[in-house]
Amino acid sequence: MPASVSLQAYLVLAAVLFAIGLFGVVTRRTTIGILLGIELMLNSVNINLVAFARYHGDVAGLVFTVFTISITVAEVALGLALVILIFRVRRTAIADHLDLLRG
Amino acid sequence: MTDSGSLALVALLLPAAAFLVLALAYPLRRSGRAAGWVSIACAAGALLAALRAWSLQTPEGMTRLAYEWIPQEAGSLASVGVLADADSIVMLVLVALISFLVQVYSLGYLDTEPRPALGRYYTYQSLFAFSMMGLVLAPGFLQLFIFWELVGLCSYLLIGYWYDRPEAARAAVKAFWITKAGDVGLLIGIVLLWLRTGTFDYLEIYDLVRAGDLPLAGLGAVTFCLYLGAMGKSAQFPLHVWLPDAMEGPTPVSALIHAATMVTAGVYLLRRTIWLFALTPDVLLIIGWVGAFTALLAAVLACVQSDIKRVLAYSTVSQLGYMMAAMGAGFAAAGFLHLLTHGIFKALLFLGAGAVIHAVGSNDVYHMGGLRRTMPQTAVVFLVGTLSLAGIPLFGGFFSKEEILGAVWSGGLALPFWMLVAAAFLTAFYMFRVVFLAFWGDPYRRPPGIGPHGAAAHEAHPHDPPPVMGLPLWLLAILSVAIGIFFVRYHPEPEFTAPGWLTPLAVAVAVGGIALAWLTYQARVVSADVLARVFAPIRRAALARFWLDDLFEGLYRGALLGFSAVVGWIDRYLVDGIVNLFSAWTLTWGDRLRRIQSGLPQDYVYGLAVGLLLLLIWVQWPR
Amino acid sequence: MSLEPIAFAALAVVLIGSALAVVLTKNLFHSVLWLALTLTGTAGIFLTLDAEFIAAVQLLLYAGGVITIAVFAIVVTERLVGDRITQTSRQLWNGGIIAGAVLVGVLSFVLRAPQGPPRPPLAEDLTRAIGEAVLTRFVLPFELLALLFFAGLLGAIYFARPDD
Repeated sequence: MPASVSLQAYLVLAAVLFAIGLFGVVTRRTTIGILLGIELMLNSVNINLVAFARYHGDVAGLVFTVFTISITVAEVALGLALVILIFRVRRTAIADHLDLLRG
Repeated sequence: MTDSGSLALVALLLPAAAFLVLALAYPLRRSGRAAGWVSIACAAGALLAALRAWSLQTPEGMTRLAYEWIPQEAGSLASVGVLADADSIVMLVLVALISFLVQVYSLGYLDTEPRPALGRYYTYQSLFAFSMMGLVLAPGFLQLFIFWELVGLCSYLLIGYWYDRPEAARAAVKAFWITKAGDVGLLIGIVLLWLRTGTFDYLEIYDLVRAGDLPLAGLGAVTFCLYLGAMGKSAQFPLHVWLPDAMEGPTPVSALIHAATMVTAGVYLLRRTIWLFALTPDVLLIIGWVGAFTALLAAVLACVQSDIKRVLAYSTVSQLGYMMAAMGAGFAAAGFLHLLTHGIFKALLFLGAGAVIHAVGSNDVYHMGGLRRTMPQTAVVFLVGTLSLAGIPLFGGFFSKEEILGAVWSGGLALPFWMLVAAAFLTAFYMFRVVFLAFWGDPYRRPPGIGPHGAAAHEAHPHDPPPVMGLPLWLLAILSVAIGIFFVRYHPEPEFTAPGWLTPLAVAVAVGGIALAWLTYQARVVSADVLARVFAPIRRAALARFWLDDLFEGLYRGALLGFSAVVGWIDRYLVDGIVNLFSAWTLTWGDRLRRIQSGLPQDYVYGLAVGLLLLLIWVQWPR
Repeated sequence: MSLEPIAFAALAVVLIGSALAVVLTKNLFHSVLWLALTLTGTAGIFLTLDAEFIAAVQLLLYAGGVITIAVFAIVVTERLVGDRITQTSRQLWNGGIIAGAVLVGVLSFVLRAPQGPPRPPLAEDLTRAIGEAVLTRFVLPFELLALLFFAGLLGAIYFARPDD
């Protein structure tokens, strides 16, 4: 066991979480599932920011974490509201059925 | 207006003016007879100008009025205008005279035509007169060719005058095609000549020839190409097949175009350029042989025709062969003289036949009979024309025909000479066959019915034509006789010495032909059926026109249509195929690429991820 | 044997495990619950990084707010006749490969960098520092954020209006 955790460990952890989130976005069939995957990805970004802020002594990383959390919450709220509205109109929550932008 | 050149120009431009007026002022044209009077007035003016020019023309004098047309650095590339010398002026007189007489005659012949159609007819007639005069007066090959083509166009328009008759339309197209085949040769010849000499002008080329500066190598090909044009227009074998079919046009048109003027353009061209042909004796030999053969062939074909106009058409082909034979023998003056005399009496014969057709309502000789009693004047003038054609002394054709025979004999063409003699015998025979069948004998009892061209039979009993048709006939008949008597009294010096037995031979042959015709068709001593059986194979071949038409049609179908089919296939499958291939590729790839746009954001995330990966690889790529 | 590496390792295991559970469970509701665990684990990570304020914000907003909204959404879109939405995922292998490739790509950057210095000692109270920075150095993004929330609020009101 090393004496202290290095910055790289946090970065690796964040990368792994990011990849899992990406996997979730790409594979989930329901819109809400996709949004959960996005949550994971954004979460991993936050870990990255805080780790860098701590190891370089710059508070900017923490400030930006506050910002991203705020924005994420707003985005999730509105995204889920849209999902509900679409469900009302199209009676489906399955993302594959929402292909009106098909070329 | 004191010199022949300016007068010739006036004669040339008057019909052109008539054509322009009639073409543009369509109320005038639609009114029918008024259009006719305009055209006739201009034709009369042209005739007067031509006659005056003739009176002023000296045998050696030459006037050239030319206008630079296409400018070039040194001099002009082409000029148009008038070249007036003895030959062209006398030809001009012939053209103007026959034009005028035919136009007057047409007022009577086409009196049942609807007015707009009649106006159209006279517009074409004026255009033709202008074109033919332009051809005759051309100072060089370029103008010759332009008017050559114009004349062909007018022939097409006038043959196809009754364009709603399919036979007439086909005949017009056939004439156009066959003469066009010759015209291609003419064009090639003109261009080749230009390449050698650098000019289109007759006088400049003549000077080159006289100075001996024209290279002789390969000149034969050039003159042969020029001859091809003459072959087409002057109906030499094998390009003669259009002339009999051209009889679908009105009879005055046949008299003008296919007897006196257009078909003589080829002979005239040769006369004009004989000094060039003299450099290539091989080509002249061909011309002589083809001419004699054409004369004999056409005479044989004429013997089996029952349509009076067809007989006259084949007769014209035969006489054109005579003229060409003389040219080929090297004595162009003899051929040209026959051109002039033939123009007069053949026009007379056609117009006389027209009077008969107009009165009887049919072209068929077997539908006529005993017409000398009901149409005495017509019978007289027709007889005058026939005697001229047969070559009886004191009539117009005798002297010129004898000149041709003498020329061919002196030129050393023995077999052609005998062919021409045989043709002379047959000429007398078939022409008098027509005379005896139509004018002697018993009148034909026609069942009541419709005459040609949908018009009702003109009269129940035929009679002489009205003066508007009769006066031109009498004028031409008097001219024929006058020419005959003139040459008896003023025998010009021939360019050759004819053997002493020539004249008696010619007369005997002509009389023999007449006698045979009389024996067969009048006295009925010799049976026509026996004659037919004796000559059965030739007769059958002649009735099938020696299968030449079928040959041409087969060539057309096979070669031309086959070639068109090939070209069509290439166009459809290769050219279109390539284009279609490209469009098919575009469509297919468009469809395939379309699947990228699935509308599902998850797929787009895939794209983003792949792009990110590529970016990462690119950034890290070892340098 | 300091606490830090052990805490970090444990939290890492919890995080990765629950994240995998989020994306792999068949039941959507379970998925949301696993996400709650993940977000809480992240708050723990923040604590090991001495960012208490951020951890608190994370717990309040994420683990509290987002999960609540997600649960609401599931309840509303679920058909009430009793069949839960069974989530199957699509194209698992493709997704796995892509995600793995991205992971490898990012790691190739991260692991190549030279070992940084160890964690410096804490200079100041981070919460105070955040507050000061927000209102001085980052006041412009702060105000823009307010604008964003205002827009979001308007949007929410628009969506929530009665249909007429």
